[in-house]
Amino acid sequence: VTAALYVEDVLLVDRCLTGEPAATRELFRRHRNRVHASLFRVLGSNRDMDDLLQEAFLQVFQSLRGWRAEAGLATWIDRVAVRCAYRHLSRRARRVSTDPLDDDAAVALASPGEAPGARRQLARDGVVRLYAVLDELSPAARLAFTLHELDGRSIADTAELVGSSVTATKLRVWRARKRIEAAAAADPVLREFLEPAGGDVIQLDDREAL
Amino acid sequence: VKLAGRIPVEPLDDERITHIERRVVAGAVDAAIAGRGLRPARRVVARALVVAAIGAAGFAGWMLRGAPDARPAVSEPAAIRVHTDSERSRLELGDATIESDPATAFTVTRPDGGVLVALSRGRLELEVGKRAGRPPLIVRAGDTDVVVIGTHFTVDYGDGTDGADGRGGVDVRVQEGVVRVVHRQQETLVAAGEQWRTGRGLIAAADRDAPPPSAADRASSRSAGDGTVASGGAVATGGTIASGARPVPVAPAPEVLRDRRATAPDATTLAPPPGVKASPPARSAGGEAMRARAPAGPGNPQGDLRAAIRAQRVEPALDLGGPDATRAITSYYEIAAHRSGDEASQAFYSIAVVNHLKLGRDSDALRSLDAYVRRFPGGKEYRAALWLRVRILCLGKIDDRCRAAAYTYLHEAPDGPAAHVAERLTLSD
Repeated sequence: VTAALYVEDVLLVDRCLTGEPAATRELFRRHRNRVHASLFRVLGSNRDMDDLLQEAFLQVFQSLRGWRAEAGLATWIDRVAVRCAYRHLSRRARRVSTDPLDDDAAVALASPGEAPGARRQLARDGVVRLYAVLDELSPAARLAFTLHELDGRSIADTAELVGSSVTATKLRVWRARKRIEAAAAADPVLREFLEPAGGDVIQLDDREAL
Repeated sequence: VKLAGRIPVEPLDDERITHIERRVVAGAVDAAIAGRGLRPARRVVARALVVAAIGAAGFAGWMLRGAPDARPAVSEPAAIRVHTDSERSRLELGDATIESDPATAFTVTRPDGGVLVALSRGRLELEVGKRAGRPPLIVRAGDTDVVVIGTHFTVDYGDGTDGADGRGGVDVRVQEGVVRVVHRQQETLVAAGEQWRTGRGLIAAADRDAPPPSAADRASSRSAGDGTVASGGAVATGGTIASGARPVPVAPAPEVLRDRRATAPDATTLAPPPGVKASPPARSAGGEAMRARAPAGPGNPQGDLRAAIRAQRVEPALDLGGPDATRAITSYYEIAAHRSGDEASQAFYSIAVVNHLKLGRDSDALRSLDAYVRRFPGGKEYRAALWLRVRILCLGKIDDRCRAAAYTYLHEAPDGPAAHVAERLTLSD
């Protein structure tokens, strides 16, 4: 964090605390993309994103007085957002029903080497199946796995965000991996996504909806 | 297999983002307003508790003082003797404040639960809170008593002579409320804006702005004889009210007035040795502190408070070896952002000091202080930062924000060097 950014954050928060709408808007705009990306990787879709993003930022503004500037503002906001995601996953776990997977993807695997479009579709299907497995994990394990493996955060950062020890976080990530490997053993589409034949990983860009 | 970066993020469309933003901003503003709303409520409750505690302590003090002679050694508070030579002094007695001019001598005692201020010579200015149901505060100057119910006024006893030879006498001027002047068994009510003088009695409001009488004025007015109407105003003598002033019913004098042996000692015998300005504070049986402070500022309470604020030391900023203020602030920012512990806290505090004292940017200074208080709640400069907030807010205007800051300082640093000023600010009206 540069000095200028840090001081900017501090002064922006003070303006937000006075209820200045322009400052509130500025803070939201500065952090929304990062928070949205993290939440998306945790949830796997934008289905409940409006409510979750709103809940996370409202929680941020309601707790803003408690930010003591000991942590960077971005880290603190991420922590609040992860807590909201945890609550959301806990609620959803009681009513989630995974959509039946499309068998067309498995058919596509039977003829490798066709047009790039078909392979991209295969990759998208792999993502869908990955999240289907993640739906079966506990909220804590899912958060640990997605923040570390999908969002690319270090184990220490992940542990701080989820409020667990580093050891517990490592264990959760390891168990989640084992679970996914077990699912991949029985699902060729997921296996192809995780370990593509020939090591040719297909990168989906952000504009490609799942 | 590395999965990081392989999960594409589907962006939210502009309409959804705008919708979320609108709801978040509205909620955030509501939250800020609710947060602000809580603070005054807390402050009011806290202030009420402070006032109640002070009141309870005062009441307990009075009750214990008035108790039968169970503990005679402490039941009668010691007299407070004040003798000023070249400077003003200020004496606080719970709900009464007595300021005295240079070359003034007076003694305070507590006969029958009341307060008796025996003025030997000089001029006093008193501000007395309402004494509903309690014995009055009386200023006795020679054979004149000024009985106070709750007011702001001055009593000038000149050189301490009674005016019989045409010099001296007592001059009473009332700024707020009303006092009762008892002189030779005659009572006169003197209201705000009015004046009473020995030998001349009540002087109507028309004369209010006239300068206080000099010794020569007094001599000349005395030589004209009692009962002569001075130019520019109505004069009452011996309790008789002249035209333009209202008649005053003469009520029986309270016990403390009839007892002329009241414990108002002779000032000449009480005056402390030369060089001693005032006796040390005395403590009553109930623990009520009486503090003599000197010197005081100008007469008006707000000006006095501001003078007291300015008199308090401000902890200096971190010394960087003399760059100009703007460059120093940039350096402080660097230190605050990249270092931790004492260095960071000192740098943060220094930003506020330089902004306030050198650049006159009070709002920037306040923002830095707010950030300091949040980030370093136990920091080395924490108390100094709280005091600097008080200084910035209260030098501008003594309002609720100032009082809230003063209360916070008082709460966090009850034994701090500026606690007495913060207390006065917290309780100021």
